[in-house]
Amino acid sequence: MPFRFLATAWRKVNRRNLLLFLSILGPGIITANVDNDAGGITTYSLAGANFGYSLLWMMGPTMAALVVVQEMCSRMGAVTGKGLSDLIRERFGVAVTFYVMIALYLTNLGNTVSEFAGIAASLEIFGVSRYVSVPLSSLVVWLLIVKGSYKIVEKVFLGACLIYVAYPIAAFMSGPDWGVVLRAAVVPEIHWKGEYVTMMIAVVGTTIAPWMQFYQQASVVEKGITKEHYAFARLDVIVGCALAIAVAFFIVASCAAAIHQQGLSIETAADAAQALAPVAGPYATTLFALGLFNASLFAACVLPLSTAYYICEGMGWELGVDKDFTQAPQFFWLFTVSIILSAVCIMIPGAPLLAIMYVSQVVNGAVLPAVLVLMLVIINDRRIMGSFVNGPVFNAVAWFTVVVVTLLTLLMTADIVSPGVMDRLIGG
Amino acid sequence: MSSSNASYFASNFLGKTVIDKAGKPLGTLHDLAMSKGERLPHISSLIVKQGKGMTSIPWAGVDLFNVFVIAVDLDRVDAEPYDPEEQGQILVRRDILDKQIVDVEGARLVRVNDLKIEGCLDALCVTAVDTGVRGLARRLRQERVWSFLTGLFHRQLPHKEISWQFVQPIDDKMTTLALTVTRDKLGDMHPADLAEIIAQLPHEEAEKMLLSLNTETAGEALAEMEPEVGCRLLSRMEKEHASDILEEMAPDEAADVLADLPDDTAQELLGLMDTEDAEKVQELLEHEEDTAGGLMINEFIALPPSMSAEAALGQVRAKALDLEMIYYVYVLDDSGKLQGVTSLREILGAKPLESLQQIMSENFKTVNVDTPADDVLEVVEKYGLWAVPVLDKDGTMAGVVTADDVLTHSLRFALRWKRFRAKRRF
Repeated sequence: MPFRFLATAWRKVNRRNLLLFLSILGPGIITANVDNDAGGITTYSLAGANFGYSLLWMMGPTMAALVVVQEMCSRMGAVTGKGLSDLIRERFGVAVTFYVMIALYLTNLGNTVSEFAGIAASLEIFGVSRYVSVPLSSLVVWLLIVKGSYKIVEKVFLGACLIYVAYPIAAFMSGPDWGVVLRAAVVPEIHWKGEYVTMMIAVVGTTIAPWMQFYQQASVVEKGITKEHYAFARLDVIVGCALAIAVAFFIVASCAAAIHQQGLSIETAADAAQALAPVAGPYATTLFALGLFNASLFAACVLPLSTAYYICEGMGWELGVDKDFTQAPQFFWLFTVSIILSAVCIMIPGAPLLAIMYVSQVVNGAVLPAVLVLMLVIINDRRIMGSFVNGPVFNAVAWFTVVVVTLLTLLMTADIVSPGVMDRLIGG
Repeated sequence: MSSSNASYFASNFLGKTVIDKAGKPLGTLHDLAMSKGERLPHISSLIVKQGKGMTSIPWAGVDLFNVFVIAVDLDRVDAEPYDPEEQGQILVRRDILDKQIVDVEGARLVRVNDLKIEGCLDALCVTAVDTGVRGLARRLRQERVWSFLTGLFHRQLPHKEISWQFVQPIDDKMTTLALTVTRDKLGDMHPADLAEIIAQLPHEEAEKMLLSLNTETAGEALAEMEPEVGCRLLSRMEKEHASDILEEMAPDEAADVLADLPDDTAQELLGLMDTEDAEKVQELLEHEEDTAGGLMINEFIALPPSMSAEAALGQVRAKALDLEMIYYVYVLDDSGKLQGVTSLREILGAKPLESLQQIMSENFKTVNVDTPADDVLEVVEKYGLWAVPVLDKDGTMAGVVTADDVLTHSLRFALRWKRFRAKRRF
């Protein structure tokens, strides 16, 4: 029973357990927050700006799905002490791993491009040219990779998570009618229109990305969390997802209050930041832009490096930042190419940014279901998980979540590939 | 069957059709079972997949086995039903391919991409594991394509094969096959290399590997690890086994590991240890980690001033293997007060009947148990000592801090930085 442990955990609240929890805190919170990256913030802003409060009810179910998926990764990491790509390789062999990794690389490349785009756009609000901000931030990312250690990086990241407070503050500045917001959060209100359904799917799709599962599991392993402390790791996942969803909630609320009410139409997160000003004041714009910059930089650090790590782990190549190009060529080339390609994409005037995002989204839609299904097979394998396999109830919930997320992702991908599919499906 | 001396790879065979004497297909080759041989493991049976079922055909029934055709004669042997849950045998695909193994020679973890199989006498032996890119390409059935692509750059697809003798399967199931050579080989590795490998292993495997080592080697490896990693491993182990390992470690190293454990666990382990060892460790645990007391070793050569050089030499010889620091000999009076210090060099150079009183230098440097580590380092560096004696609050000698230990402590931040960078994963 997934929630009975909460009650038992509550009875065990004492100083030692609290300290233990604080020492284990981290992986879940960081992973969930990195997930609110440039793409995520854009999606939430658009959801609020275009559909007002009417998408807020999605937040509850989305969080549930996120917790279910991330919890399984956390459990696999704590029980086996292996990363996800390691498990996939050992369970399904080299061919499956190889193609999943290629897909993962492509989709993460697209994601990294959008992070750099987010950096460029957010700093342009402050009047910094992208030809300054993008090279500089790629350099910062590089330095963190070359100089950092997991402990330090984790502290920096937890600090970066705090900056997300900008969004709730901006939301209060926009002054939404909280009564209306709360009602919208619990009462589903579905418009059967193509655009609305597409946005619904995008909200789920942007919240559950394939790289998160790998990252969550790797950081649990890295922290040395074992099954003895597993209850805390689970709590960490839940707290992290709740925080991340809260941030998303406030982004939607503030954009709904400030932009949807004005009846403006926006295209990007940077537009959203600018459009906040008339209602919420210039500080709200600053906060929003700051939040976007932080989120983009944060994800731009994590994505290229983590991708290089999973791929090398799965393929059995040397990895580690203390090696050099001759010792660990694959590892170094993988992340160097990611960073350079993404940064260059943003710097080239008239680069086909939209096409890149489009391809990465399509690959994303194809690889996420595959990863989720592989995960479910592994987590139900007694040879690997022992007594920590999914229970029947949790398994039903997990399969249901996976099927729904998969269907939504496939729908979104179909809609991207041939726009208008949604309208025809709904008949609206 | 007779087999040539050609060499193949496991991936050449897996998935191929197996035929019987009449040329009728029986199914596809799903897996190969190996069993321990004289020097190298050999293929003992074929696991053939027929529709949904699997059967196991002993090697004795194989007529032809090469990359073109696999033929078995079912008149000679009977196919046995195959039970996938059976743990008795090692299966190439299930237990070895794609797994991580320790490459003892290279002192690192590698992933098995393929297995090299060669004919030896009248069987097929597993001779090497392929951990290179070429093996990867072969498994993906893309060897030609990849070769062509690298050929464009006038490069060869890199070969990387590790002889089976340098491979140590870590998995427990493989212990049935643990080749004596490799077991010893693992013990031959430098403890620091071992520590690094163990720290990288998933926890179950790390435990198994520690268990497979003798307590002395395990203790050496634990001492080389970051204390928090060592403490995590110890806390998951059988208490008895953990205390045995702790006994093998130098008291100061055991104290470092125990200091990171919860108090009750640490006390329990101390209780299981040999009383004498436990007392020494307990003593060290009482000091702050970054003071001379926390860094010192409390085993040193202490002799009375009246002893002759010859007798002193005998004492040093008797304790040489148990002590970390034998270069300095500390001359103590009856109450344990330090009278003087002399060195092995001076004792060797002295006339046999000279007393230590005559040889020793009375102008020695000491630190107190609560002296900060940085000050200890300064003393060691300034006076060029290999070890500095540590005095208790009442002036009796409590232990010595070796230059090596204080350096490690002071460099720890820099070292940790480097090691974390090495092991960090995202």
